[in-house]
Amino acid sequence: MSYAYYPGCSLEATAKEYDISFRSVFTALGLEFEELEDWSCCGASAAHATSKLLSVALPARDLAKAEAQGKDVVAPCPACYQNLKQAREYVLESEENREKLSKALEGTGLEVKGEVKVRHPLDVLVNDLGLEALAEKVVEPLEGLRVVPYYGCYITRPPGKESFDDVENPTSMDKIIQALGATVLPFTRKTRCCGGPVMMSNEATMHKLSYEIIKEAKEAGAQAIIVACPMCHMTLDAKQPEIEKHYGEELDIPVLYITQLIGLALGLDPYAELGLDKNIVSTEKIVQKYSKKMVKAKA
Amino acid sequence: MTDFKSEVIAAGGEGIAACYQCGTCSGGCPTVSAMDFTPRQIIRMVNLGMRDRVLSSKTIWLCASCYQCQVRCPREVKITEVMAALKSMAMKEGYNSSIAKPRAASFYRNFNEIVANLGRQFEPLLLLKTTLGSRESITSKLGYLLKNAPFGITLMKKGKLPFKPEKISGSEEVRKIFENVAKMEAGE
Repeated sequence: MSYAYYPGCSLEATAKEYDISFRSVFTALGLEFEELEDWSCCGASAAHATSKLLSVALPARDLAKAEAQGKDVVAPCPACYQNLKQAREYVLESEENREKLSKALEGTGLEVKGEVKVRHPLDVLVNDLGLEALAEKVVEPLEGLRVVPYYGCYITRPPGKESFDDVENPTSMDKIIQALGATVLPFTRKTRCCGGPVMMSNEATMHKLSYEIIKEAKEAGAQAIIVACPMCHMTLDAKQPEIEKHYGEELDIPVLYITQLIGLALGLDPYAELGLDKNIVSTEKIVQKYSKKMVKAKA
Repeated sequence: MTDFKSEVIAAGGEGIAACYQCGTCSGGCPTVSAMDFTPRQIIRMVNLGMRDRVLSSKTIWLCASCYQCQVRCPREVKITEVMAALKSMAMKEGYNSSIAKPRAASFYRNFNEIVANLGRQFEPLLLLKTTLGSRESITSKLGYLLKNAPFGITLMKKGKLPFKPEKISGSEEVRKIFENVAKMEAGE
């Protein structure tokens, strides 16, 4: 089975390392994919705040393209994942919705039937590949590495008929991290919003929410926070120096995408294949300890 | 014009009448401390038809659409959808609370405009247009841009900010979808 890969706008820019590591890890695990040709923006929060119809009509164009290929969509950005998923649910819900949507797509030649599923990489890794198959591919177990998994909002909320994880206590990322040999620490803020959506309009609120997440991770003794969302990564990693300044406190905790962590355990090149030099908070300590490729390159 | 409550229900707020004011929404809301009315109060105010105070509230712009309230609501009120509908109504009706940080509305407007033109988002342009297009003072705009300049440079050095926007080949289809939806909504 091959997937239609939907990178979304963030993975082309500020979340470049998520795109790089997603491609490398899926390839290394033998999960076939091809980028959805000429994909367009899912509409994110802006379409949602404009109209319900717009928020399903924009991703409908991408669903139509994936349907033409008969491939399930895999979308690493949880906002894209959620919008595409909700567009599919909207189509499947009623004849009235289908009529409305085809009116919204009039003149584009596109048609959506809701035939292909929308998947998040965590779902594919746990349920299609399976944790045992993943563990078998590990060449450099991440023993001794203590981390907290941070899921954020849209991986689990709002839940739908095809949700793959628990809405209050998701564990898919926990299980993946454990399969890599690392230790998952208890973490109460797994699904507490990081404030990303109000980053531009209310900075102080974003600072506070992200600070609380980082602070709990540090107090738990984590050496890294593991995420699967470009927006969460932006607030926790890229904005971490700003948060440090705001609170007058050194935080210095690396924030890795789950695909970067998996790639390390698979023995992939930390920079060329995983983009670990693109994170804002340095990931060097972890790379040095766990990447043999990196040690060899230095020698 | 129909009454406010019915409008909100039609825009995705079905079920709001079932609210029994338990406050579970406000209890779990991550941004409640910065709001002028709690989510529970907003739902009550919508049910009471208080259009003006709801649409000029800070609360609707502080909602991060995290869906925490909605998944926990024992009455299955779609609170996040209500908040999105309220944002949309406030933008259409030109509400612009001085404390509500007009940048939020500018963000949504410019986000849509860029996607309608290119078919995709282009983050550097979005930041610029959002700031310049908001209703804050020019000093505040320049201050924000200057403050964020070093951050932009950091991202650029890491190769995480593309230099020029790219138009997808199906951008006309995307524009058409925007136009169709706008027409359909105006006709309703």
